[in-house]
Amino acid sequence: MAKRRIGVFVCYCGNNIGGIVRVPEVVEYARCLPNVVYAEGSLYACSEEGLSSIKAKIAAYGLDRVVVASCTPRTHETLFRNACEEAGLNRYLFEFVNVREHCSWIHMRAPDEATEKAKSLIKMGVAKSYYLEPQEELESEVYPEALVIGGGVAGMTAALNLAQQGLKVHLIEREKELGGLLSQVNKLFPANRDVKEIFDPLAEGVKNHPLITIYLGSEVEGVEGFIGNFKVRITRVEGEIKVGTIIVATGGRELKPIGQYGYPTVANVLTQLELEGRLKEGIDGWQSVVMINCVGARVTGRFYCGRFCCLTAMKNAILIKEGNPQAKVYILLQDVMASGVEAERYYRRSMERGVRFIRYDPISPPQILGERQAEGVKVYHALIGREVILPAQMVVLTTPLVPQADNERLSKMLKVPLGSEGFFLEAHLKLRPIEFATDGIYLCGSARYPSDIAESVSQAYAASAKAAIPMRQGLVRVEAITAFSQERLCHGCGNCLRVCPFGAIELKGSERGGKVAWVNAAQCKGCGCCVAACPNGAMQQRSFSDQQLMAMIEALVEEVSSGP
Amino acid sequence: MALDDKPTILIFACNWCSYAGADLAGVSRLEMPPNCRVVRVMCSARVRPEFVIAALSRGLDGVVILGCHPGDCHYSEGNYYTWRRALLLKGFLEYVGIEPGRFQLRWISASEGARFAQTITEITDTIKALGPNGRRRPQEG
Amino acid sequence: MNNSAVLVIGGGIAGIQASIDLANLGFQVYLVERTPSIGGRMAQLDKTFPTNDCSICILAPKMIECASHKKVNLLTYSEVIEVEGRAGDFRVKILKKPRFVDMNRCTGCGECVENCPRRVPNEFNLFLDKRKAIYLLFPQAVPHKMTIDAQNCLYFLKGRCRLCEEVCLAKAIDFEQEEKIVELSVGAIILATGFDPFDVSALKEYGYGEIKNVITGLEFERLISASGPTSGELERPSDKKPPQVIAFIQCVGSRDVNYNPYCSAVCCMHATKEAILAGEHYPGLRSFVFYTDLRAAGKRFQEYINRAKEEYGVTYIRARPGKITAKDGRPIIWYEETLFKEGEERKVRKMEVDLVVLCQALVPHGSHQEVTRKLGIELDEMGFIRIPDRLSRPVDTSVEGVFACGFCQGPQDIPDSVIQASGAAARVAELLTVERM
Repeated sequence: MAKRRIGVFVCYCGNNIGGIVRVPEVVEYARCLPNVVYAEGSLYACSEEGLSSIKAKIAAYGLDRVVVASCTPRTHETLFRNACEEAGLNRYLFEFVNVREHCSWIHMRAPDEATEKAKSLIKMGVAKSYYLEPQEELESEVYPEALVIGGGVAGMTAALNLAQQGLKVHLIEREKELGGLLSQVNKLFPANRDVKEIFDPLAEGVKNHPLITIYLGSEVEGVEGFIGNFKVRITRVEGEIKVGTIIVATGGRELKPIGQYGYPTVANVLTQLELEGRLKEGIDGWQSVVMINCVGARVTGRFYCGRFCCLTAMKNAILIKEGNPQAKVYILLQDVMASGVEAERYYRRSMERGVRFIRYDPISPPQILGERQAEGVKVYHALIGREVILPAQMVVLTTPLVPQADNERLSKMLKVPLGSEGFFLEAHLKLRPIEFATDGIYLCGSARYPSDIAESVSQAYAASAKAAIPMRQGLVRVEAITAFSQERLCHGCGNCLRVCPFGAIELKGSERGGKVAWVNAAQCKGCGCCVAACPNGAMQQRSFSDQQLMAMIEALVEEVSSGP
Repeated sequence: MALDDKPTILIFACNWCSYAGADLAGVSRLEMPPNCRVVRVMCSARVRPEFVIAALSRGLDGVVILGCHPGDCHYSEGNYYTWRRALLLKGFLEYVGIEPGRFQLRWISASEGARFAQTITEITDTIKALGPNGRRRPQEG
Repeated sequence: MNNSAVLVIGGGIAGIQASIDLANLGFQVYLVERTPSIGGRMAQLDKTFPTNDCSICILAPKMIECASHKKVNLLTYSEVIEVEGRAGDFRVKILKKPRFVDMNRCTGCGECVENCPRRVPNEFNLFLDKRKAIYLLFPQAVPHKMTIDAQNCLYFLKGRCRLCEEVCLAKAIDFEQEEKIVELSVGAIILATGFDPFDVSALKEYGYGEIKNVITGLEFERLISASGPTSGELERPSDKKPPQVIAFIQCVGSRDVNYNPYCSAVCCMHATKEAILAGEHYPGLRSFVFYTDLRAAGKRFQEYINRAKEEYGVTYIRARPGKITAKDGRPIIWYEETLFKEGEERKVRKMEVDLVVLCQALVPHGSHQEVTRKLGIELDEMGFIRIPDRLSRPVDTSVEGVFACGFCQGPQDIPDSVIQASGAAARVAELLTVERM
């Protein structure tokens, strides 16, 4: 076995470690461990002095591994790694041993045991450090062009923002025109603004920007690659488009509640978007309108709430009242979803305008009355406790947005997941709502979950920021704790790629014939799941290899084997 | 060096949850028996069954894997694999005659310092009651 | 003229996210936070809905990423005192309050806190317990350095003690430290100042402050937190015993023309989460949520409510209670159910419970008043930062170059705040394009 020159630095941390653990005794012990050529105690290893001393000793003693025994690596690991690097030692030849949070602080009433335990932990750390290898952090180039899939309000916003940042964008839209759902909407809550006011400047901006290339009537056919280096094939375009990042902005579509409440056979039963179409054409003057909310939402099989459909119903109800102040307009609903300042204010306004809100229980839903067309609606009015019959010259069904029919196809192409409802699933619901677990692909708008315009635009800006980051940095850097496969040992069983949560492993042809596993380090997150799944140790993890971890176990085993 | 009532227990703790929970127990100065030795891994899924088998068959008195609560894994699914492996491993260990209780799997989140302390104390007591691992051999020579 | 630097005011999750994104985009970020640590309200939560993730577990890595980023300059325990200029060229003066601890020397070891003799009410735990005059805001604070609360320190009050200085081996205590003024030139400003809880003692009918076992939602959050004043034991204030029946009252001070007419957006989910957590800690515990509209319109929110109903036996009653009285320490809720099943009688009912949690309104944090006034940024009548064109520019304030994200511009939950924070970063990047790194 080759000899190493390991240096051990034991921190007193003031009294925090030194007040319980007998540091000088521990330093002596460390000095006698195999391959340790230098050991010292340090009052505060993380201080200027402490770090200088480490650097000086690396030089003076030709140390080729450094072990620091102090607090938790979760705070100072980077600090000590930097110090090693500054002294000319590869930053991955450093090992951290926790003798404070995991020793002195939890055995304050047992200083003898704490001292023995500190020795034991250092012995394990030194054993691991022997097997550490120098590592270089992988840098992978990022091609500075983006693909935005979907030309609705979210896609256009993201594309324009990226272009304004100086990045080239390929915007792909499967319809013959930009706009998405915007083209079906009449006016916008809460100020009754015309859709044109939002759509025109966006569309103009996108069409006129020299850095944006628009592909209308096109769809994505195939995607290969990884962050920084995607190759995309699009219908009606020759060859491949190379991009660094991808934004999914494919939106949603309105649920058509076929078979419910006489839709679509009864002529005067419509959805909200269909009503918007009528309003756009200038049709109005209804005497009585009943809107039924939560049609196809918050039900078994589709548990979610459409989020902004209450507001849509209110908006259209107010417009109908404005067209005919005498009209009787009723909204039948379960809960009024109007969170925040503006929405709550809008709800009050709609009540002031004479829109009547009736709560119904989903157990006894409303019933349409009438033969060949709806004439009225019978409903159990839960607030007053009896059934009422409402006149209805028109019935409007308020339905939620549902996922696009081809979400599954796109999700397979991009290798990103869908949630149980069929919308795309982000990396983390709370803190990473706009990213996928797969690096380089981002998500915004109703492709993620029903979002109104303000929200879709917010999310589009957010997706643009996320996509711009790797493109503006020009490269992605990966911490060297990634997995790698040793070709000569691998027999291509594929266990590893089946367990990888990030899709970072592929089977590639090997020179010996057959296939072997290959880890894309740019996508690997260093969990080590694949390593444990590998039946013969071909797959290893840098800085957490089997050899390194077994060395720690061996060190402990050795301790317990030295009998009384 | 190792006496009868001083078991040696190896703990694998995942960086994001259980190792942080152990840190918090430390910050909170929660007193615990001094028998455990923590090895940091990025995810509990890194732990090979062979580590556990090697440790227990060569004389360590106990091995514990600590991971994030199901659903909270930083790598989304790692701890589910850990769970599956642990179930199989428990069966195997019993089959080769290692007392149940020497190998345990527990979930600790980064904010559960007290739970970490309780877990360590409880497991140490369990293993003390089992006595020293019969596979321990004194060093030759 | 400095178009490569940005000022972010507020170190909660929104401010942290905006800072990380901007720094990664190549900008120099100055993040100003009023308290000694970043983290904000999220650090006070136990778990977050609808994932029931441990809040600090998902927040801490972001805090560390933000603080350790080469391009982020953290100015904690600091406030903005002067600001003028226009987009692309703002000149800002920041007051760094003295911690009386040398940040370069302090290692956060905590020896001083152990020895400090002075206990004061702990604002982080909503005054439910005490901290020392030298303190760390919470265990995972970033920066992990101590602060001396001069208003409560024996040395500053009475000229004696200085024990911390004696025991600090790193010689980090510096009673001579003075406040510093930092002058900055930035191209854009992002406001992320968050919210404050509304003072519910104004609603006398609910007995907060009078009836011991009536607490607020945020207080409940601290009680059930493993790192809170009772280590996660839900103790009734009156007798420290765990409650068996809890009532959550929604919209306390919200949707109320007498106080705050708006909806605070997060409380329906917040109460559900707390009911679930209580049910997890104490199997068999029953929770009742008194609501007006059950607002669960976000992703996976309805499923969360269903889980609460089906797995944890949480009962939702549509009622806004008229008053809360007490008998032998047990609060009694007086209410009338507003949703009718056939044949039910309409009458005022009483429910006796062990603990009442008032889900209080959340109001914009007062700290942004100064800055907004100096820059002429418009607020709406509730004090939230006004967004003139929400449909196309959802994070732009009324002043060019100044953006607002998170609760300071309207009630919203964590995902929406994080989205707006990244969105604000994108708007800044658009406004001030920087050379490729």
